[in-house]
Amino acid sequence: MKSMTRRNFLTVAGALAGTAALAGCNSEPKQSDQSDENADAADETIDEGELEAEVGLVTEGAITFAVSPDYPPFENLVDGEYVGLDMDLGRAIAEQLGLECVYTNLDFDGIVPAIAAGGQADAGLSGISITPDREEQVNFSEPYYIDNQAVAVLASNTDVTEDNAAEVLNTAEMTIAVQSGSTGADFAAENFPNAEQLAFPQFTDAFAAVSAGQANAVCGNLAVVEQMLAGAYSDQHVVLTSATGEEYAIAVNKDNAALLDAINGAIATLRDNGTLDELIATNMG
Amino acid sequence: MNNLSPCAPARHRGSASRALLAFMVVLVALLGIVAMPAARADAMEAVKCTGRPNSEDDPTVIMGATESRITFEASIAEGEGVSSLTLHIPDGTSFGTDDLAVTLLTGDDLMTRNELDYTEKVDGQDLTLEFAEPITQEGHLNILVYDVFFPADGGEMQLEATYGLTDGTEASIEGIPSIPVEGISFTESLSQWLEDQSWVQAWNSNRFLHLFFDPALLVTSFPVVLTGFFMSISIVAVAFPLAIPMGLLLALMRISKLRLLRGIATTYVNIVRGTPLFLQIYVAFFGLPLAGIQIPNFVLGVTVMCMNSGAYMCEIFRAGILSISKGQTEAARSLGMNGAQTMFYVILPQMFRIVIPNLTSEFIVLYKDTSLLAAVGIMELVMYARTIVASTGSITPYIVAALFYLVITLPLSKITRHLEDRVRGHRTRKHADAPELAAEKGASHE
Repeated sequence: MKSMTRRNFLTVAGALAGTAALAGCNSEPKQSDQSDENADAADETIDEGELEAEVGLVTEGAITFAVSPDYPPFENLVDGEYVGLDMDLGRAIAEQLGLECVYTNLDFDGIVPAIAAGGQADAGLSGISITPDREEQVNFSEPYYIDNQAVAVLASNTDVTEDNAAEVLNTAEMTIAVQSGSTGADFAAENFPNAEQLAFPQFTDAFAAVSAGQANAVCGNLAVVEQMLAGAYSDQHVVLTSATGEEYAIAVNKDNAALLDAINGAIATLRDNGTLDELIATNMG
Repeated sequence: MNNLSPCAPARHRGSASRALLAFMVVLVALLGIVAMPAARADAMEAVKCTGRPNSEDDPTVIMGATESRITFEASIAEGEGVSSLTLHIPDGTSFGTDDLAVTLLTGDDLMTRNELDYTEKVDGQDLTLEFAEPITQEGHLNILVYDVFFPADGGEMQLEATYGLTDGTEASIEGIPSIPVEGISFTESLSQWLEDQSWVQAWNSNRFLHLFFDPALLVTSFPVVLTGFFMSISIVAVAFPLAIPMGLLLALMRISKLRLLRGIATTYVNIVRGTPLFLQIYVAFFGLPLAGIQIPNFVLGVTVMCMNSGAYMCEIFRAGILSISKGQTEAARSLGMNGAQTMFYVILPQMFRIVIPNLTSEFIVLYKDTSLLAAVGIMELVMYARTIVASTGSITPYIVAALFYLVITLPLSKITRHLEDRVRGHRTRKHADAPELAAEKGASHE
């Protein structure tokens, strides 16, 4: 177990949580181990009953997620509606827990502190990668998605190519736009320490900065970079990718273990019944 | 090598330099040959070796004695069968293996992650990975070592790595880039010392105190936020003096007899005062460059603040000018002064004395408003505080930022009050009402 890697952890944790969910059912006298689906369904009703009793929620009867909707295809505002993988996942989790789903809009770099402080939201659901720094502040659920890092520049920028990106980006002439508090900012700082970093609270502004010429490159999670480039910023292209294998998970206050368990149970159910894969398929197109 | 040295000078005794050159060429070639066998067996080559920056002061600096992470990546040639790898972590550096992550990246773009089955062994500074299956696939072996604490003094950290192949040969990986580590900063070491103190731990066990007044964080965020403080101050220090002539010009235009000048100034002032500064910043930072106007960030920030403040100052100056009694103008004109002379020698000197309190409060407003520039990536006071809040989850850096604002605004508002009293004292009760009204106007747009 000691040599367990992070990827392994994902599957092992998934399996464990699944077993835990089933075990929970088995302890109910009425339940037998015939059908997983029945067991899961019953599990939810139990969860629901327990939730009201022991899980402290910001708003009673509703689970409030803090989200920074500047991160398609994970979270984005379209005509005032929250759309994206995380948003669908949040609604599915809320449904599993028998709670209403509420989203509250926060800048990304404020989400983890807000969850750590409590009071504003029950959980952070905003493409948050598990990092040791964040783990010190909040608890993370089981991961639900794995993403990597990417760097994009203007397509018209011939100085930075796929062949020389790693070296050229690490020079003093480069300005790299990142989202404040993101793993993209950490990645750029570690791999391109000589470049200047320009941090924006909103990730979309980092792309705008590259198009506007305020920065030479933008660095962030691959799925988001690809989505942004496929949409409004078709004048940019990806020059560098790195398989960092970051795991996205839901952040929960350290004192709220009951909610973490409930969310983990819901994710395990959604994973087992294929909903999670479905949501990923529909949102990632 | 000995057999070669006589042969080169033997041919051209006269041309010593050519001989030397030839000798060098042979030498280099020979060295190349010596190195060749190793190069051929170079199943693995270093790709990168970095440490995770851990300094709050500078996001790219790696400090000693503070938690970091080593990322080591080496390429593996196809079919080599790498069965073990030993990383020699520099002496004085401690590391953990609980979160160790070993991944083989494969595929054309190296974006496919393969988990490896391995057992690790730690012997002093040596971290040995024995792979259950020898790695024969072409790709990059990526290793993350967590819980790394570099020596407190810093220095160039040189990792060494050796690997074993299935055929039993061992070789070392050459050309591993060293990791530049800086000595632990004074504030960081003070903060770490504070964290170990029992009274600090007791203090932090109170949730509220920990979130808002964590002593260790107060210490670390102070120098960082100070950098932002200088940025904010320098923006105001340039923008404010520039806004004064601009405001004055606009004010003169607004009271001008020419309708065109009046119209331009009024439109400008109304638009700037009628829209949020935040919006103006966005338009300037993302709109202007799109329109092909490239201005450095700092200059652009100063320009926006100056143009915004100019509109408010225009109203302050206009109110000031209008508050000067009509008798002053009449007296000046009767002395034979023309309109411009009256304005510059009689009206404006009196006006300035009246508007100084309002200008001071405008300065306070401008200084506080620089925080809005954080949204467009200018590293000012709030932005620095924000980055630490994001990485620590405590609100303490914001409290530090608040102190940096108060350090300027509290004395200034005291001065403003003093100046207001003086203005009032010099004038009759009736006249003093006008500047007071203007003062309220100036303050109301905060």
